[in-house]
Amino acid sequence: MISFFRKLGWLTERRRKEDELREELQFHLDEEAEQRQAEGLAKDQARWAACRDLGNVLLIQESTRAVWTWTFFEQLVQDLRYALRAMIHNRAFTALAALSLALGIGANTAIYSFLDALLLRSLPVSDPASLVVLNWRAKVWRGDSVVEAMSGSIYDDSRMGSVSGIFPYPAFELLQNSDTVFSEVFAYCRTQEVRTMNVTIKGQADLAHGELVSGDYFRGLAVRPAAGRLIIPDYDRTGAAAVAVVSHAFSEKHFGGAGSAVGQTILINNLPFTVVGVTPPEFFGVDPAAAPDVYLPMHTNILLGAANQFGFRANDYLDQNYYWVEIMARLRPGVSLAQAQAALAPRFQQWVATTATNDRQRANLPALTLKEGATGLDTLRRQFSKPLYVLMALVGLILAIACSNVANLLLARAASRKHEIALRLSVGAGRLRIFRQLLTESVLLALLGGVGGVLFAIWGIRFLTLLLAGGPQRVTLNAELNWHVLGVTAALSLITGVLFGLAPALQSTHLDLASALKETRAGQPRARHMSWRVNLSKILVVGQIAISLLILVAASLFVRTLSNLRSIELGFNRENVLLFQLNARQAGHRDPEIAEFYGNLRERFAAIPGVRGASLARSTLIGGEHGLPISVPGAPPNDANRFLAVGPGFLTTMQIPILAGRDIEERDHSGSQPVAVINERFAKINFGGANPLGRHLILWKPGKDKYPARDMEIVGVASNARYGGMKQEIPPVVYIAYDQGFPQPNEMVFALRTTGDPLAFVSSVREIVRQADARMPVSEVRTQKAEIEDAIHQEITLADLSSVLAMLALTIAGVGLYGTMSYTVARRTGEIGIRMALGAEPRAVVWMVLREVLVLAAAGLTISVPAALGASKFVESFLFGMKPNDPLALTLAVAILLGAALLAGYVPARKASRIDPMTALRHE
Amino acid sequence: MSRQPPTRVELLQGTLDVLILRTLLRRPAHGHAIAKHIQRTSEDLLQVETGSLYPALHRLEAKGWIAASWELSDKGKRARYYRLTPRGRKQLATEQSKWQAFSRAIGLILNPMDEEAR
Repeated sequence: MISFFRKLGWLTERRRKEDELREELQFHLDEEAEQRQAEGLAKDQARWAACRDLGNVLLIQESTRAVWTWTFFEQLVQDLRYALRAMIHNRAFTALAALSLALGIGANTAIYSFLDALLLRSLPVSDPASLVVLNWRAKVWRGDSVVEAMSGSIYDDSRMGSVSGIFPYPAFELLQNSDTVFSEVFAYCRTQEVRTMNVTIKGQADLAHGELVSGDYFRGLAVRPAAGRLIIPDYDRTGAAAVAVVSHAFSEKHFGGAGSAVGQTILINNLPFTVVGVTPPEFFGVDPAAAPDVYLPMHTNILLGAANQFGFRANDYLDQNYYWVEIMARLRPGVSLAQAQAALAPRFQQWVATTATNDRQRANLPALTLKEGATGLDTLRRQFSKPLYVLMALVGLILAIACSNVANLLLARAASRKHEIALRLSVGAGRLRIFRQLLTESVLLALLGGVGGVLFAIWGIRFLTLLLAGGPQRVTLNAELNWHVLGVTAALSLITGVLFGLAPALQSTHLDLASALKETRAGQPRARHMSWRVNLSKILVVGQIAISLLILVAASLFVRTLSNLRSIELGFNRENVLLFQLNARQAGHRDPEIAEFYGNLRERFAAIPGVRGASLARSTLIGGEHGLPISVPGAPPNDANRFLAVGPGFLTTMQIPILAGRDIEERDHSGSQPVAVINERFAKINFGGANPLGRHLILWKPGKDKYPARDMEIVGVASNARYGGMKQEIPPVVYIAYDQGFPQPNEMVFALRTTGDPLAFVSSVREIVRQADARMPVSEVRTQKAEIEDAIHQEITLADLSSVLAMLALTIAGVGLYGTMSYTVARRTGEIGIRMALGAEPRAVVWMVLREVLVLAAAGLTISVPAALGASKFVESFLFGMKPNDPLALTLAVAILLGAALLAGYVPARKASRIDPMTALRHE
Repeated sequence: MSRQPPTRVELLQGTLDVLILRTLLRRPAHGHAIAKHIQRTSEDLLQVETGSLYPALHRLEAKGWIAASWELSDKGKRARYYRLTPRGRKQLATEQSKWQAFSRAIGLILNPMDEEAR
């Protein structure tokens, strides 16, 4: 330790130490010479003998200096200084190499940041590792199963059929008594009452996202309030005072700070709630996909549901077949996930068996499974992880191209520095020392690329956030460059630096000195190493071409998918339609006034100058996915049937052609004969060739007490239009009037057919709504066109990103090809000169070079076409309207690649054809 | 890179340090005097290679076992004098006992005849 500081001190005064050492050695020489002289030698001889006795003074100085400081660092500083000088000397080379690395590393960091944020980051709560998420799996849940009613998500699972995190409330109560394995069990859910709420604060109405949480939710997660107190079990029971906890961001936006939010009264869906506390700023709930604004005690859903016909009812808490509440738990210290699973699965099994009412239900009971909960719920993962993995693979390939490019450039540089290195070796530089120095240069280059990569990544993350988050759910992605990501980047750039620095460095230090020195600068490049270098660099280029093709094939598959999606026949006119959503029920309107209220609004919207048609529907056509049992009298209801409650003139407004009969009109209101318009597909399935007009349809009220709710007369047949998404087949659809009984209108999407830009009408709409009822915010304002773009958002993102990446790959590979061909041409200057002197046409010379390019490209394609055919199966699920081995996409990719290769090869080829034979020969 | 062939007895690795420390125990000395003293005391059996003497001196200084200062020599010239520090003295003691044990052990193995003869 002492010696460390002494060395550190000496580092600062080394100039003085050098002088002292020189003086010390000089003294030694003098002393020795004097002594020898005294022994009888002549003065000259004595001095000479003293020198001989002392030996190599420089060497002594060298090894003494090594004692003072650290040779390693000293040499490193030397190497770095030398490397920097060399880099500045070769600006073009450095810029090219660093840039391709920066792009490669940056793209990887950006994508990795998202992967990290989505898949790897833990919830910001204490001891996240002990959290578990409770799920169940079953073969199928559709059809007859114990899941008779649900609110939440059930996902298709490749192994088991279905997987889900929603449970009946009695199951939660059962699992709460699992003290042996869990220290905490808590629940939360986002039923329709709270998903989007109308929150009125100081007279100002706004929309907010809510989360219902059980009384022990915050205690279970061990979250401390930023202000006030969080929800406790006392708040979570029927009849308790209505309280709310708001998020930190929400408190700042609406109350100007956490402190001033506590104690305030707010209206949620027109009901008074008292804000009792604020969550800490970093807390976003348990689902990274959606940060709730407001947390409510679970039992308040009875209050909130009362206003709604499909709303939550108190006896839903007792229903053993209604699946809606999600559960998380904390493992007791020392209990493993597997142990907890083993302890609880049989108990759940036993309980769920008692809820089955028939043998079919008993044959397919859900089985409890526990999942690690440290990273929260996997909503985002389900949505983004697959496209992100595809992108990660693509950028990984780009990095491979970039690295081989830099290796190629380093190879070329090593060849041109052969003379210098041979000289240095022959004057006594150690091979290891030179190897180290070359390695330092490439690592420095890699670090430069890494720094550039971080900058590029910062920009890339912003770009990706915009791109990925613009989707229909408008999720907030918290991707950022963190230390974890930076560490990975640094490691990546270092590893690549060492990897691509190694080959040229090894090669450079194994020179045959004599021949290398004899070689002239312009060089008869006939040495064995030369051809080895050319071969290696060609192998690298072939590899780059092969990898580029893979990326190009992916890009052209995604671009073709997108163009297939964009050219889908919609069945309605997407141009010049403004969409927006209103929820009068949450603002306090009730039946039957609510239907009338919506009707008045529709008339006022239709009267806006420039609006050609106005109507409303339960949801948009693309978003709609409503299934209530509908049947032709006498037949059982068909689950495939879909319906959409619409206002007068909806089909006309959307410009869906009516093939027979009429549209829903204003005369179809409550009290008049319920009517329906069916689409072509519905007519074909249910009536075959017969005329459906005048026939009847029954709409059933679902649930245990199933009864006919509406007996409707078919008044029209409309042509098929997209419903419930872009990619699905158009289902059989029944358009019903929104105000003719069950189901009563809730939130409604208005559609305005406009002349000119639809968004120009937004302010008029807002003004009309404000006048009608200021408590009701206008939400989800967008054009029909934008809604469709949102629906195919993932495909657009993939197509755009993969195109950018393909361009990047082509550029980097093109630079590599260009460099290699330029080098080849320069090497063959003499030969080409002779050919031209003997009468070769410039065109023949161009062809000679291009032929070589084509051979390289062909070699690359031979490798990658089969690889691409194999790999494209992995992206099958992202494709639409084509098979993974789409010949057109493949042809397109090959054509683009060949074009780019020829372009990159043409410049050196042209240069070759312009070689002046005289100069070339003199050159030799 | 090979050096000149060793003259007389080659020093064992690590022995130079202890010889230097022992030499400085008498009194402070400069590099040349140390080399000469070792040579003389060993009856010219040990030839200190100057190539390793100075790095060794600086290494011992870095370890804090000896300290250096510039003083005037007997002939009035500026010379770098080294002297033993308390830490160096302690180090010498341990090294010395180690060496004695070592040389005794080597002696026992190399000259077993003495014992058998007795």
